[in-house]
Amino acid sequence: MAEPILEVVDVRYRYPTGTDALCGVTFSVAAGERVALVGPNGAGKSTLLLAIAGFVPATGRIRLGGHTLNRATVRDVRRHLGLVFQDPDDQLFMPRVGEDVAFGPATMGLAPEEVHARVHEALAAVELEGYETRAPYHLSVGEKRRAALATVLAMRPQVLALDEPSANLDPRGRRRLIGLLRALSTTLLIVGHDLDLIMDVCDRTILMDAGCVIADGPTSAILTHRELLESHGLELPLAVAARQTPESPR
Amino acid sequence: MHHEMLDHFAAGVSPIHRLDPAAKTVAALAVILATVLVGRDHFRPLIPLAAALVIYQAIARVPVGYTARHLLLLSPLVLGIVGLFPLLEPGRALWAIPLGPWRIEITQAGLVRGGHLAAKCVLASWAAFLLMATTRFQDLLQALARLRVPRVLVIQLAFMYRYLWILADEVMRLRMARAARDGGGGPWKMRMRSRVDLVGVLFVRTYDRAERVYWAMLARGFDGTMPATATAPARPVDWAFAAMTVAAALLLISADRCLYG
Repeated sequence: MAEPILEVVDVRYRYPTGTDALCGVTFSVAAGERVALVGPNGAGKSTLLLAIAGFVPATGRIRLGGHTLNRATVRDVRRHLGLVFQDPDDQLFMPRVGEDVAFGPATMGLAPEEVHARVHEALAAVELEGYETRAPYHLSVGEKRRAALATVLAMRPQVLALDEPSANLDPRGRRRLIGLLRALSTTLLIVGHDLDLIMDVCDRTILMDAGCVIADGPTSAILTHRELLESHGLELPLAVAARQTPESPR
Repeated sequence: MHHEMLDHFAAGVSPIHRLDPAAKTVAALAVILATVLVGRDHFRPLIPLAAALVIYQAIARVPVGYTARHLLLLSPLVLGIVGLFPLLEPGRALWAIPLGPWRIEITQAGLVRGGHLAAKCVLASWAAFLLMATTRFQDLLQALARLRVPRVLVIQLAFMYRYLWILADEVMRLRMARAARDGGGGPWKMRMRSRVDLVGVLFVRTYDRAERVYWAMLARGFDGTMPATATAPARPVDWAFAAMTVAAALLLISADRCLYG
């Protein structure tokens, strides 16, 4: 295997309250892989994302895009990690969508024309052309979610990390997001409970519980393993459950 | 909802709306300064100022009722300050109200001074309001940045504008959640306590959100400076508008000084 784009080695973090949030997480992701991080609430999935982005002071080794995460490289690591937060209202902090998408490329020091081109490209990728002057407050949840994705795509990250990308989306918005994610060629790291979305998008799944990696393998193997999922607070994706019990009640 | 109100007419199309936001800001400042600098008790110089605002409002097609409603919001403040003058200003008493051992006198000079101050307050707020009503808030922020207003201040205004309504929504949700359980009733003491709790919860949530927003900024490379956004350059007509307003304001103030001494 070629050198992994993301390497997480023995990452540990303890909350200030003394609870273990991450207890020695190790995995690596190759370029172009689409990996899901699943697990019950409080499994440490979101904390792991924050640790990779250098927001929580975890121990262990994190390597992303050729940079080993430390105080000196944290800005480089964040530039290569496109982190999309769960609440798009946190992600979209500028008065206009266009300015928000431009924020990343502009802080990277790109020339104004290049920033403009990136904004256009990113908004087109999430099917929000012409939204440059719209105020985030006036967007629907689905539009906000896609705009949030665009703010990160404009930075052309090596790894795209999404925290619960389909939370609060209606079925149509969710379907549209799945289509967009499938069309991306970037390495993906998706945290969430939406196992059906993960079935559709990710080829590999890492199951976490209580801060530890429980299983790591092909999505088709892990998300069809009823006992494994149920013993860690999850259940079979609906699509899989429907296939396993062909005789419907009616 | 509220958000819509703030920007409702700012999205309109008129020659005024198309003017450069920075030019409009300079013009509004000139009008406000002129209003403030008019000598005490001089009513006549206020007339051309009011006329200018009426014309501006008409060209921009801002409804009169909309303006009046917003200016009325300021009335408690204006009345609070202005209402004291007739009582404090010495002069010929029009009415005298005995109040125990004291006598409160309402003087003619006080009424004039109070009325003059009230007129100034209304004119200055009117000018500021018309600026807001014909300029989108985001454009106004960019204009302020271009006019060299300290960036920290502009950024703070931008964040306020972005998150004020999210905060308002949050308050509404909290209040609804409370009302769903207590029906808006309950003993007075309990209601007060839940109100205090609400403020506490709101503070914690706001603090959490501020942290998450800051992280989202850091995640996209924030290093303490906000990137400047490109704006359309000012046209000759914009310069002319700003220059003419400033000149007119200067003329008015000089005339006021010369004629009244």
